Amino acid sequence: MNTIKIYLILFLLCTGSFFSYGQIEGEVIKPRGGKFLLKNATVVTVTKDTIQNGSILINNGKIEAVGTDFDASDAVTIDCSGLFVFPGMIDAGNQLGLVEVNSVAETQDFAEIGDLSPNMQALTAINPNSVAIPVTRVSGVTTSLALPSGGIFPGTAALINLNGYTSEHMYAEFKGVVMNFPSSVRRGAYDRRTEEEIKKETEKSLKQINEIWEKAVVYQKLDSANAELDYYPEMEQMAKVVAGELPLLVEVNAAADIEAAIKWVESKKAKAILTGVAEGWRVADKIAQAKLPVITGPVLSLPARQSDRYDAAYTNPAKMLKAGVKVAIRTNDAENVRNLPFNAGFAAAYGMGKEEALKAVTIVPAEILGVADRLGSIEEGKNATLFIADGDPFETSTQIKHVFIDGYQIPMTNRHIRLYQEFLERSPGLER
Amino acid sequence: MKRIIYILSAFLSINLAVGQTPVKKGNVLIQNATVLTITDGVQEETDVLVENGIIKKIGKGLSAPSNTPSINAKGKYLMPGIIDAHSHLALSVVNEATSPITAEVWMGDVVDPFDVGIYRALAGGVTVSNAMHGSANAIGGRNITLKHRYGTHNPEELIMTEAPRTIKFALGENPTRVHGRGKGIQPRSRMGVEAIIRNGFNEAIQYRKAWENYKKASGLKNSTAVPPKYNLRLETLADILEGKLIIHCHSYRADEINMLINVCKDFGIKNIVFTHVNEGFKVAPELAAYTLGASVFADWWAYKFEVYYSTSYNAAILAKNGVITSINSDDAELIRHLYHEAGKTQRYGELSDDEALAMITINPAKQLGIADKVGSIEEGKQADLVIFDKHPLSIYAIPQMTFVDGVKYFDINEDKNDQRIKVSPTEVVEPIFLGDHDHKCMHGVEMFEETGEFFGTH
Amino acid sequence: MTKFYKQTFLSFTVAGVFSFFSYGTFAQSDPTGERRVTGTYAITNATVLAAPGAAARTATIIVKNGLIDQIGNNPTIPLDAQTIKGDSLFVYAGFIDLTSTVGVAAPSIPERPANFDPSRPAPVYVGITPQYEVLNYFDALEEDADKWRKTGVTTLHLLPKGEGMLPGTTAVVLNGQKGASNVLSSSGSLYVRFQTVRGLSPGTTLGIMAKWREIYQNAELSAKHQTLFAGNNGVVRAEKDPVLEAFFPVINRQVPVLFEVSNELDIRRVLGLQKEKGFNLIVSGVNEGSSLVPVLKASKAQVVISLDVPDDNAFKKEIKEASEEVNDNLERVKEAYLARLALATNFEKEGIPFAFGSTNVKSEDFLKNIRLMVENGLSEEAALAALTTNPAGMLGLERVLGTVEKGKLANLVITTDSLFKKTAEVKHVFVDGYLFQYETNGESNESDKSKKNDLTGAWDYETVTPQGSSSGLMTIKNEDGKYSGTITFDDPEGSGSKSADLSNIKVSGKTLEFQFNVDVQGMSISVSVSGEVSGNEYEGKLTIPDFGSVPFTASKSPDSNI
Repeated sequence: MNTIKIYLILFLLCTGSFFSYGQIEGEVIKPRGGKFLLKNATVVTVTKDTIQNGSILINNGKIEAVGTDFDASDAVTIDCSGLFVFPGMIDAGNQLGLVEVNSVAETQDFAEIGDLSPNMQALTAINPNSVAIPVTRVSGVTTSLALPSGGIFPGTAALINLNGYTSEHMYAEFKGVVMNFPSSVRRGAYDRRTEEEIKKETEKSLKQINEIWEKAVVYQKLDSANAELDYYPEMEQMAKVVAGELPLLVEVNAAADIEAAIKWVESKKAKAILTGVAEGWRVADKIAQAKLPVITGPVLSLPARQSDRYDAAYTNPAKMLKAGVKVAIRTNDAENVRNLPFNAGFAAAYGMGKEEALKAVTIVPAEILGVADRLGSIEEGKNATLFIADGDPFETSTQIKHVFIDGYQIPMTNRHIRLYQEFLERSPGLER
Repeated sequence: MKRIIYILSAFLSINLAVGQTPVKKGNVLIQNATVLTITDGVQEETDVLVENGIIKKIGKGLSAPSNTPSINAKGKYLMPGIIDAHSHLALSVVNEATSPITAEVWMGDVVDPFDVGIYRALAGGVTVSNAMHGSANAIGGRNITLKHRYGTHNPEELIMTEAPRTIKFALGENPTRVHGRGKGIQPRSRMGVEAIIRNGFNEAIQYRKAWENYKKASGLKNSTAVPPKYNLRLETLADILEGKLIIHCHSYRADEINMLINVCKDFGIKNIVFTHVNEGFKVAPELAAYTLGASVFADWWAYKFEVYYSTSYNAAILAKNGVITSINSDDAELIRHLYHEAGKTQRYGELSDDEALAMITINPAKQLGIADKVGSIEEGKQADLVIFDKHPLSIYAIPQMTFVDGVKYFDINEDKNDQRIKVSPTEVVEPIFLGDHDHKCMHGVEMFEETGEFFGTH
Repeated sequence: MTKFYKQTFLSFTVAGVFSFFSYGTFAQSDPTGERRVTGTYAITNATVLAAPGAAARTATIIVKNGLIDQIGNNPTIPLDAQTIKGDSLFVYAGFIDLTSTVGVAAPSIPERPANFDPSRPAPVYVGITPQYEVLNYFDALEEDADKWRKTGVTTLHLLPKGEGMLPGTTAVVLNGQKGASNVLSSSGSLYVRFQTVRGLSPGTTLGIMAKWREIYQNAELSAKHQTLFAGNNGVVRAEKDPVLEAFFPVINRQVPVLFEVSNELDIRRVLGLQKEKGFNLIVSGVNEGSSLVPVLKASKAQVVISLDVPDDNAFKKEIKEASEEVNDNLERVKEAYLARLALATNFEKEGIPFAFGSTNVKSEDFLKNIRLMVENGLSEEAALAALTTNPAGMLGLERVLGTVEKGKLANLVITTDSLFKKTAEVKHVFVDGYLFQYETNGESNESDKSKKNDLTGAWDYETVTPQGSSSGLMTIKNEDGKYSGTITFDDPEGSGSKSADLSNIKVSGKTLEFQFNVDVQGMSISVSVSGEVSGNEYEGKLTIPDFGSVPFTASKSPDSNI
């Protein structure tokens, strides 16, 4: 009896690798954990040299071993001959999971009422079952930073891995308070305010922010001295920023605003990350001097000004990088976060180069968000969050074959793929 | 005298057609390129000779008259100018949203040659675009096919006069929101959209009959026949019934696509292209059998409820089912990298290079009725050409030069930063346009929408 | 009386006011003392610039019976002539404003019926009323007329007011003595413009172009039908459509179309329409388009250049420590500004005759802007022609207006110096032989301030939109001569009432303009209101960029001054 059981288990284990492609009629394929051995791959570690004919051992959610010449008989083996392994890509800024259908207001959960709402937690509003999540992760984007928006301090962003059924499963150990820096520029052709009006409004906003900050400083001081303060959730959260426990994600785009934001951040001695930074190339030196990291994107954007070069947005990341800025790339999208590699590809073509562009969506965002010990490259001890492709993941002709998140093999299926399978050859066809 | 003019025009490359707006035409010899002809395979190390705006010869080792500029394209790729079958570039107004049928309006009246977006499209290799009415109405206005001859003050120079007439239809959420929910007039539902369209066609039939009767009667001696009222809207609808215009219908849901296919069958309309059609793949056999195809997004979905159940494999499924499929942008940002959008059909559906490139060249040309003039590199066709430094379907490809009618309108090495033709005399602080795509399909209809809802939608 | 007057003379009665006929009545006692002593004047030894391009000559002008009776070196001065010493003065023919709205009121629009369909509105709701004649809505307020008279405008080509694309037909009146009959010509041009009524069809330029073509075509068919009906039995009755009938004189080339534009693309559209049907065309509001010269020449359209010059803040701007790119952009802006000012010069060089129109221009800026153009290359001859002979020709009144010649109407502008010098001021104006005198030597009109309406206080306003009427409260304060204020309105996002600060408050005479921002879904829309104050009432319109205008009225309770 026992031998039959063993043979059965062995049989299932050996054929297990075939089950990872697509779906068998009627059966639902779930993410599965376990021990996996990826063999004969070209391993693009990102932080170290690329390994030819390499192997990776995945166990207990971690990369247990990386190298050549080792085996693991008790692991599910995936033959990766002719294939490439990359660390899972990180999109450091989007609304994935916070909205389902953008035109249906009931499905929008990224914006709250009020200017000061830093206590709003993006993490808990994320829908782990959003249809867009499986659509995204099959592209190799495994990790994503969910951003609240609207108002001055819209909320606290959270980094999530794109696998799991609860926010605890998905949480990837980074939170940051978002701040929309006041804009001093004309917002598009419909903005008919005069120069003075714009200036006044910007000053008013900045004054408001400074007042909030001052209050937060006081709150933090009193709170750390163990005073008993009245319930003030907004200040509680801001105090964490003042204390440096949570970084500030400063969303700012126009050149003049970026300069103002840098000055402000330095004057408050706040721990900050600049996000958006569409015109960063205009003030790249100043950003580099201030040693502020940048999360920019989407790269596939129109230039900010009518008088700008047509490729202003494409060349933006490269120009900032050349000036010495730490640059990560984001999509700032919701349902098409899967286009992160293509944004990186354009950045690569327009000055950044393939290597740096790959870093900009793997190790660099990991470092900026303080999770580089777990994510962003293929190294022993890091999370087994990676993907296997048959070529350069930035190229549209490449197929992504397998995706692992936290050591779980993700089913390479989603609504788009299922619809493809159903309708490629519709039955009945034209006639009944 | 005529002969002298002909010879002169060959030298000066100027079209001296009397009475028409002169269109610039050029000569050029492109040498040693990898030529992606689209209709005749890939030809390595091949020359293309352009004379007076027409592709005169394709071959190896061609020679050209001494005053024809030549370009060494060794190691580079030459493909036909990209055609976008759904765009709102270069239009001062997009929607006349005051009535559910506005077939009487014509986008040719509102062409704006100063739109810097045209230059940006040229920098992305796009030479022809279908400047369309918006999607606010069940039957919108007549579109205008444009050639991106950027740099002129005269809107007529942008119009591709030899292109056949096309007209915009729209189904689904947009017309029902603008008219039904926004103003309380039909249509309010997909039922109403069909009714409005059928009403329009039936009225047009009566209108045409009345005019035919009048023409017959007034030809007789001592006729006292009185002309009926002239109605440009019904004129246009009657022309559609006679096959004189190609319908481009904005639609998403499989059921509404099917509805319009049936309506067209009832009225004998064969010239219809469906655009967007995110659920087109669900009715691919019907589209293949009864229409001039589908013009789709590469991967946009989920921005409205009617595109929630769509797939990025749409283009591939349609193509594999024999539907003439093109990829469009409907967006000033997306149009700049249609070559990349076409490449997505290789990620989602593993289409071949030729199949993918056809989606932005010969297929949209067919859908606009200009496939005999543009859309591929063939002798006798107009010289709308793009040179890429790498294969256009690679993410790393960068367009180097773009030609329209053999005239170079974009050259990455001679590209000045500020490409605006006109500047406002009072604007000191330039406005900044950030991130959010200004989806022009619904431009100008905000006043009709329910209070408080502003849509950044298509 | 000349034959001309017999043909086009119309008596004009100001309601309730005792009407004066210039000719044919006999004088009576006047206890108000307003009546003039004599209608005969002698302007002695003035420098006369009789016509554009004519050499200046010293002459004495005799005005009698409303006409220029004599001009000469030493004419016999009639005994009943009042003498004006013209020794240091300059005399020009009175100016003609081709696009005036002095004293014109907008017609009232009837209330919309219950089942109103915005996609099929009756023409009267959407401003398609070409049959409206401007004289039916004309009641010149002396204050306004005088402001323009003071800047030398003696003849007004009146444009109908109202919403929509075809407000009506124009007329020519003299900017003359109140109570006198001042109508010169009642058969004016058909006035068209690219303007829509919010929410109604036609709603955009697209709709306007299509509507124009349709109306024109139907007018041609209707004319044919009417001819057929008039000459034959058994013809279906020709329905009389006032809108179509207003087009008959245009189709017959008896009357031109005056099409108002605001940019060069509009000009091209209008020229295209003209090419389609061949009607006589006057294009007004031309403010750009040097590239249009060849098309304009070929079209034989008449041109009215707008005197609405852009403000020079951008032109004067200097940015310190600017990058090369910023400087390049600023250069382009400055070039654009100069090109705008040189437009008239360009047209002159290319031989395109033009007139000037005052649309969107305040009377104080009329001469100022013309002088600005002369500074930028326009010849004085062309400028004067644009004010006198060219508009006279366009209106078909060259026989009686436009130059200082014996036998023409006594419309004269008399200035203290050559007209185009910055320091020149208008001292006397003759209209129809009536004399108007003005204070000169830099004296500002302090008296105007006392007549100013008190704008401060709390105003209840109401504005009508297709969704219904909406109302709120507008408060205006005046601190040290600076106006400020706030306005309340229903929050478009549904949460009750919101308040916004008023900005760009401009007060000029009776006109009050201001702007305020409405925030909807993260977008900030700038709403402008402009209108006129009389006492405690305010009437104007509220404009949202790209959408159009709706009426805006407000009234102040008398005890709410702050």
